[in-house]
Amino acid sequence: MPWKLLWRNVLRHPIRAILTVGSVATAVFLLCILDASYRGLDAAVADASKTRLWVQSAVSLFVDLPEGYQPKIEAVPGVKDVVRFQWFGGIYQDPSNFFAQFGVDAAKWSANYPEIELVEGKLADWEAARTNCIIGRDLADRFGWRVGDHVPLIGAIFPRTDGGVWDFTIAGIYESRSVNIDQGTLYFHYEYLREGLEQGAVQGPRGVGVFLTCLHPGADASAAIAAIEQTYENGPQRVRATTEAEFQRQFITMLGSVPTLLAGIGSGVLFAIFFAVLNTVLMAARERTRDVGILKALGFTDGSIAGLLLSEAMLLCTAGGAVGAALALLSNRALWSFMSAFIPGFSIHTNVAMSGLALSVVIGALAGALPALRMRRLAPVTALRSEA
Amino acid sequence: MVTAIEIRSVTKTYQRGGESLRVLDELELTMDASTFYALMGPSGSGKTTLLNLVGGLDHADSGRVVVGGTDLGSLSGGELAQWRAENVGFVFQGFNLLPVLTARENVELPLLLAPLSKSQRRAQAERALELVGLKDRMGHKPRELSGGQEQRVAIARAIATDPKVILADEPTGDLDRTTADSVLDLLQRLNRELKKTILMVTHDPQAAGFADKVVHLDKGRLGRIDDNRAAAGRA
Repeated sequence: MPWKLLWRNVLRHPIRAILTVGSVATAVFLLCILDASYRGLDAAVADASKTRLWVQSAVSLFVDLPEGYQPKIEAVPGVKDVVRFQWFGGIYQDPSNFFAQFGVDAAKWSANYPEIELVEGKLADWEAARTNCIIGRDLADRFGWRVGDHVPLIGAIFPRTDGGVWDFTIAGIYESRSVNIDQGTLYFHYEYLREGLEQGAVQGPRGVGVFLTCLHPGADASAAIAAIEQTYENGPQRVRATTEAEFQRQFITMLGSVPTLLAGIGSGVLFAIFFAVLNTVLMAARERTRDVGILKALGFTDGSIAGLLLSEAMLLCTAGGAVGAALALLSNRALWSFMSAFIPGFSIHTNVAMSGLALSVVIGALAGALPALRMRRLAPVTALRSEA
Repeated sequence: MVTAIEIRSVTKTYQRGGESLRVLDELELTMDASTFYALMGPSGSGKTTLLNLVGGLDHADSGRVVVGGTDLGSLSGGELAQWRAENVGFVFQGFNLLPVLTARENVELPLLLAPLSKSQRRAQAERALELVGLKDRMGHKPRELSGGQEQRVAIARAIATDPKVILADEPTGDLDRTTADSVLDLLQRLNRELKKTILMVTHDPQAAGFADKVVHLDKGRLGRIDDNRAAAGRA
């Protein structure tokens, strides 16, 4: 019966109960996403290679380097390969279908990224034609693409002069063995882009966004970085060289102090929910003051009455936490396919969802404690005199 | 006659707006068991305060309140709660049923504190509702009952644990005359048939007419005690 009374009290104002559960569920869901984002970014940095260098313009990542830089970078001691890497920025049907596309030197790129495995098609298939491309497993699943399908892209940075679309043919599908590399990208031949620009069939900036510089095993990365930067110290355009790990870290910190930001948002969410639940329980306690008086008159102890109110707050929060944690875990796959383009290591962990659930129980206990204590201390006569 | 309630030199003072208000002033009163008492007096004479002290809902500032041989001043908060659960039943003017529970569940509420199984609790609650003539409405929630029916449910709840003393604070204050009379008749039956000691606060002389004795309070002191049975006997 106390459980029945507890349950009926919870459902006394169904909309209020649903809103409270919903707000706690949203908070737990957001906390799971924040944690997954933070861990994903962290894992991406941790997994990034320290023997691959990213050589970009010292001005900005958005400023291209002259193609002629490649031979001098290749000549730096310790450098094994230099891969041209260019952001394409094409649109598939609608801008909302965003996914990343890069022009690369296919053979060298494949040779230097052992984390990537072609699970459908072969490297030779990709190299067979300049219009061929490979796509990640998530991208294939997202649009239902298969090997042999055509992917028409509207060139936003590199529009075709005839007004037509770029036509890529899927020659392979890859899967990534590292959180550093997502499965939502399309890679095509850089040469296809360069030829178009040279022949005047395509408009857009000429140059290379990044020279992916791969070092021999055991090579001194610091020395290579210093040498590359020194080569172009006096121009014509200065370069900046970093290890892939450092590049990832810098890319992440472009947003500011991400861990601090995420922790700040998470704490804010928790505080907001705590006060929302506290407000709900205080309202419920005030409405139920006379009921408390009745129960005390009937012989229920102060402790059992306080426990009833505390349990009500904990039940609401636990229900919210359970819904939020379940939603987070169930939507992990869908969220991952969307988020992994930005945060390669994005994944909601079960233990984090469970921590979110535990946190919601704690919030319920804290929010319920104050009104429960007030009701515990309330004299039966005072409670009975209150307005119903 | 066995004594049910003893009030010995009881004083109770409230602080209101910075002023000290002595509601009960060295009150002396003895009430017999199995007797139906009506407690009357002008507003502020201390009727409800006395009822709360007898029911263990409040503490006297000085003096002793002894109910069924137990000195309530000697009990801790928890002991007092347990004593209330076992020894008194309350009937309030505003019925004070829990709106989220059905009539039967409201009656079952005090039985939760007794060592009874679920089926025993249910059977006892149904018996109490049968006694007040509401067995057919036991699945209804308070808002689905009339005022008189709500008060009957409250009376069923008060007698569910079979307490020796029933305390009623203006039980017919919110009811029309006919309904009030039927509720008073029910209280009278509980006194006569089940030998319950009943202490009822009322402003209504007609309601007081159902009691065996009428205790008049005046400014926190005992005025007089009228014996309705003796008067009826003389008539």
